[in-house]
Amino acid sequence: MKRLLIVDDSKLMRDMVAACLRPLGAVTFEFAGTGLEAIERLALAGFDLVVLDLNMPDVGGVEVIEFVRSQDHLRTLPILVVTTRGDDSSKARVLEAGASGFLSKPFAPPQILEEVRRLLPSAA
Amino acid sequence: MTERVDLQEFVGGFVAEAEELVAAASASLKEIEAANAAGTTRPKSVRDLFRALHTIKGLAGMIGVEPIVELAHAMETLVRAAERAGGTLRAGAVEVSVQAVQAISERVRAIAEQRTPQPAPESLLAALAATDASSEQPSAPPPIAKNWDARLSQGERQQLFVALRAGTPGWSLTFYPTEEKSARGISIATVRTRLAEVGELIKVVPRTLKGDDGKMRVAFDILLTGPTTAEALAEVVAATAAEVESIALAPEPAPAPSDEPDSDVTPMGRATVRVELARLDDLQEQLSLLIVSRYRFEREIARLHEVGQDVRRLREIADVQARQLRDLRRAILRARMVRVTEVLEPLSLLIRSLARPGLKELRLELDAAGAEVDKAVADRLLPAIIHLVRNAVDHAIEPLEERRRADKAPAGTIRVTCREVGGSQLELAISDDGRGIDRAAVARKAGKPIENDEDLLDVLTAPGFSTRDVVTQTSGRGVGMDIVRRIAVADLGGELTVHSELGAGTTFRLRVPVTIAIIDVFSFQCGPQAFVVPVAAVEEIFELSKSSEVLPPTRGHGGEITVSLLARGDRPLPVVSLGALLRIDDGRRAEKAMVVRRNGELLAFTVDRMIGRQEVVVRPLEDPLVHVAGIAGATDLGDGRPTLVLDLAELGAGIRERTRA
Repeated sequence: MKRLLIVDDSKLMRDMVAACLRPLGAVTFEFAGTGLEAIERLALAGFDLVVLDLNMPDVGGVEVIEFVRSQDHLRTLPILVVTTRGDDSSKARVLEAGASGFLSKPFAPPQILEEVRRLLPSAA
Repeated sequence: MTERVDLQEFVGGFVAEAEELVAAASASLKEIEAANAAGTTRPKSVRDLFRALHTIKGLAGMIGVEPIVELAHAMETLVRAAERAGGTLRAGAVEVSVQAVQAISERVRAIAEQRTPQPAPESLLAALAATDASSEQPSAPPPIAKNWDARLSQGERQQLFVALRAGTPGWSLTFYPTEEKSARGISIATVRTRLAEVGELIKVVPRTLKGDDGKMRVAFDILLTGPTTAEALAEVVAATAAEVESIALAPEPAPAPSDEPDSDVTPMGRATVRVELARLDDLQEQLSLLIVSRYRFEREIARLHEVGQDVRRLREIADVQARQLRDLRRAILRARMVRVTEVLEPLSLLIRSLARPGLKELRLELDAAGAEVDKAVADRLLPAIIHLVRNAVDHAIEPLEERRRADKAPAGTIRVTCREVGGSQLELAISDDGRGIDRAAVARKAGKPIENDEDLLDVLTAPGFSTRDVVTQTSGRGVGMDIVRRIAVADLGGELTVHSELGAGTTFRLRVPVTIAIIDVFSFQCGPQAFVVPVAAVEEIFELSKSSEVLPPTRGHGGEITVSLLARGDRPLPVVSLGALLRIDDGRRAEKAMVVRRNGELLAFTVDRMIGRQEVVVRPLEDPLVHVAGIAGATDLGDGRPTLVLDLAELGAGIRERTRA
């Protein structure tokens, strides 16, 4: 069973992302509403992939990526950034910080599904 | 499984969340306005405003509401500039922003009413683009906290400086999360919530450090201001007071403390204490455990009685204990209560924002007497009430001219009353003295006869029903009502009724329980039915591989179920088919197994498939001392059908006894 962490400060957005990824089948979704929560969850538990929003209270997505990449055991964790800031400079900044993929909102359900399938380490 | 996912199913959720965000944005704007009037700044409100807009924009994009995206985007640009300028949004910019939020709000309403939202007004977009966020660059605040200054933005430094200058102390502390603390419910999320209750958070920064065992750990440095103590803060992050550093301005002839209203700071010295809701949930959880063990105690007394022991003294003690438990339960419920008057406070602001002087005038009457309600109920109920009040203003209250012609008082009255019924229920009535609902018009629209108020409610709350064509002139209502009904009936297990008189007004009555319990659950399918179990009760969920052999359960003559063993890890794990246990097995191959712990031993239940994880409202049992083994309560997953909340550990207990038999 793969574990996915969906990080967004909007509950609706978290639900929508989970709905889009439902066709993956054998995954459990966990949710974090802030970048801080995400960092804590990632520090304490193992996940197979993170879907990450950028704009959140206190600690934004970029800081979460920087944190994740500074941790030895999380260096290869796939991070898919999903954001309303779809411009090229944001994208460059996010990928430079170490995101594995980038998707701008709004996106169509198949887009995120395809991205996650691409990033998720192939199922055993 | 189909790959098609339709986001349109989230439109209802969008309306609810967008309305919350609009309310948050309006509140931030009000705070900024107040700060401007007091000649100070409120960078936190500017940041909150920015985030609310950004989220609205993202959600509107997902649902495909372009006018809202445009408005939110234009406003976001303006507010971002304000944030960069140290968190000031000058009066003119606030004004345009209020209009833009109003425009967004109108378009959210349109979605709720299944109308096509109007395009974003060009003039407003142009005004937003042409407005300067901040006229003057505020002087850069002086450096204050040496280990923080470099980590703070201009706006955050300004926020700290303003608070310190007003005499509010600043605090710097660190939270070290661990698995053990997390198990005790102390996580950065709860720490953040609790700190936000005693003060104003300025910044939280994660940092990594090497633990004693050489492993990397994470720590959160926290900066806040608030009238609290080092001891109180230390308690929140499970540290000692010595580890909390206080921050103050270097002494200088300080100006008089500003009387900026600081609504989210608890004044000290009152005999009240704010408690995070999760802690009260904890308390309630502990109480349930106590009730379960009392049930066992009673069973044991009954057993002793059966074998001829004298149990009179034990019975007496048990009876006293039952009473004490009921009292304790009542005391805990009381602690969760908030005054309905306080809950309804946002309505006066709402009414003010909806009134159009000279065109539509409004009066709000609130009467909640001394009624109180569980905070968790209040949080769910408020959106429904706001919905009803909005509808009343938009569609029931006539414009000034029309009221004059009808010989009515110029200002339309919205009356919200609330009273307790029978100690466990709350009855809320939202009435207006507007035009009332024209049943004939609604019946024509719905294409079926409407004989009475019940028929009327059925039509009004049918998903997808809109009185769009008749709403403005004749009918006067019928919008987003399915959401109101969902909240009242499905979410809270209450009732919704309507009474309307043409020309005289409409009253909606909501009857809801005073208290509810909310838990985080896994939902799953077993046989033809869906069930849920509390997340906290599940140790592990694993997939049953095709190779792992789970023998079909066999049922003996006495109803006992033979348990298969599954090799897992280094020891065999007993596995039982939940479908067989509940006698609802439909022969489908179970895909998943859920592991629970019972008296320290692991036990797995097979289920057909997992549905998901969510928060649900568990209906309170009528009497907590009436106990059905294995069933913790009932809930609704949103489909309107009751779903049972299972206590797998207790179901497991039943198995072993039967196996032994």
